[in-house]
Amino acid sequence: MIDLSSILHKENSSLWTRLLIHGAGIVLMAVIFWIFISAVEISRIESKKSDREIQKYLDLSKIDFGNPLDRALFRESLDVFYNGQTHRNDSLLTAIDNLRQRQFSDPAYKTGGNHDGLTWSMAGKLSGMYLQFLAIYGIVLVIIYLLAQRIAVYRFIKMKQHRESYLTQAFELINSIHADRIGSTWWNAFGKLGFLFLKALLKGMLLMLLFSPAYVIAYSVKTTIDTSSILFMILLGIISNGVLILTANKFFTFLVGESKKGYVQTAVAKNLHASYEWDAPEGIPPRTLLKIKHGFRSHVFQPIFFNARFQFIPALKEHASFLITGLIIIEMALNIQGHFCYELLQQILYRQYDIAAFIIFGIFLTVKVTEIAIDVWEHKEKRKYGY
Amino acid sequence: MATRTLTGNSWLSILNSKKDLLWLMTWIAGLGMLWIWDALFLNAPAFARLQTAFLNSLFTGAMVVLFSLALGWFVGVSLHLLENSKSKVGFAVISFITDILRSIPQIIAVLIGYIILTVLLYQGIIRSSFVQLVWIAGTIAVAVFLEVADTIRHRIDYFRTLDFVDAMLCCGIKERRIINIEILWKNSRSHLLHKLIAIFGVSIFLQCSIDFIISVGLSTDVSLINFPTTLGNLLANVDSKQDILALSNLFTEPGYLSVIFVRHLQGLSAAFCIVFSLLCIYMIANGYVRRHKLA
Repeated sequence: MIDLSSILHKENSSLWTRLLIHGAGIVLMAVIFWIFISAVEISRIESKKSDREIQKYLDLSKIDFGNPLDRALFRESLDVFYNGQTHRNDSLLTAIDNLRQRQFSDPAYKTGGNHDGLTWSMAGKLSGMYLQFLAIYGIVLVIIYLLAQRIAVYRFIKMKQHRESYLTQAFELINSIHADRIGSTWWNAFGKLGFLFLKALLKGMLLMLLFSPAYVIAYSVKTTIDTSSILFMILLGIISNGVLILTANKFFTFLVGESKKGYVQTAVAKNLHASYEWDAPEGIPPRTLLKIKHGFRSHVFQPIFFNARFQFIPALKEHASFLITGLIIIEMALNIQGHFCYELLQQILYRQYDIAAFIIFGIFLTVKVTEIAIDVWEHKEKRKYGY
Repeated sequence: MATRTLTGNSWLSILNSKKDLLWLMTWIAGLGMLWIWDALFLNAPAFARLQTAFLNSLFTGAMVVLFSLALGWFVGVSLHLLENSKSKVGFAVISFITDILRSIPQIIAVLIGYIILTVLLYQGIIRSSFVQLVWIAGTIAVAVFLEVADTIRHRIDYFRTLDFVDAMLCCGIKERRIINIEILWKNSRSHLLHKLIAIFGVSIFLQCSIDFIISVGLSTDVSLINFPTTLGNLLANVDSKQDILALSNLFTEPGYLSVIFVRHLQGLSAAFCIVFSLLCIYMIANGYVRRHKLA
């Protein structure tokens, strides 16, 4: 008998069962969206039919429905033709008022565009936008993956070097000056102090930039930079919304956790290089940050890095989903026309919910495909390490 | 001569070892300084709007934390109990649903919640601002509660490998009590609190972003309804956007820096509140992890 719990428990399930779950999820969502899209289409056809019926009355050249006298005459005429059907006549007048109001207030009427729902030509147009969205997403994901690892490794090495933050160093300097009370060194220390505060300020500004939502950054440079270019979108996707710093922090956590394990101490005892100083002969030269995959040979950091990277792979799933959230925010908030998520917002505005559902399904599919790719990658890595 | 350093006995050394508290103080101090500055230089109506927006955002964030904790706790514990029950159908169904929910980007889930809210507002079912904020918080909680559920499941799985759970079961203590009181309440509060701090940050980010998007992208619909003021829709306000756009002037006219903090305060204050809060909440969560050695 199949053990459902072991299949659904991610740590235990095999690649095929996980793919099966992903596939079932995609099929289920496709069915739900298809039902929803069909329901919207049926409702639109009925609504159009009803609007056409009412439009006949609005097209009567002799009647101005904005004029109370004309309305009263029309109402009396209805009573003559449909005598005794007061309720029906009232409903018709209300429906006429509703249509008139919608023609003035509904964005779909105001733009005068063709809002025929999800047609083949619309699906084709959306496919082009979707491919562009996928390309931007792919590029940003790869860059963030590579950058986050380097930032985390840099932070880890700094931590191992026991380097305090600039502000702590500055306060320590203030403390030491206060204790020493040596006048000749005061100016020298004052210069150092200023430099430390400047570095702390720059670091703070950089952190603020990395945590800024995309729309804050984009609006603050909008008049000097073309914020609708794809290059700017990629840049914004990388540096904004805290995605980069959060991904780097996750990898850093894995590095710290891994470095506390017993095998690291054993490796140090067996004379593996363990110095984290930049310039030490057995240390880590700064250039290794550029080739982190092969740069730490015969150093204890190499197994730490690879084991942390192995744990980082499944964690990428949640970061990928958050990255997509960031990209959606960028496209929507900046009103970049012709982009996939901007189109989603426009379709919601025009109440074309079938098209909106189609776009949402596309985004869901992107996340699912990313999850499948990461699962396959994780499986390959597991086999490489003999799990 | 002996040098007194931060590692010595001083209030700075205490704060240095408690980075979460240091950043909490920094957050409060930063916002306090902004409040004083705005009280001096920002016009009264804008200042009142900014305060309301900040408090509404904070309130929504706090509600998201509460809802996420309740939902995450319920789903996490339910999944564990269902996994160990005889029939696995319930476990399979809930796992499958959570798996699908995980694949929906948070902003999409929140956007769907806003669309439903708009419909409810049009139909007059929801009227008060308080209920609107609670609805928004509930929507964001649905998008983020799985993180709490995951933490709860990890903690239960970890403690199940230890002897004390079996020992308690042998002593006749009910499994529900062991999970809810002994494992989660007595031994996992730090982990949960860390997760909740992180969720608070994410909720502020999502709320501001969705409010900004709705105000910018669906402005014709929103203007008819008037959502409660939050930092996101305050930033999307035309005046605020002009203030943020004014930052571009600094590239061509560096001298403009002297007036920007007086003339363009509303937008800059809203943006600062968002960015500074996100940064500080991240630092608080990180400091908390280090202090309690959770990593």
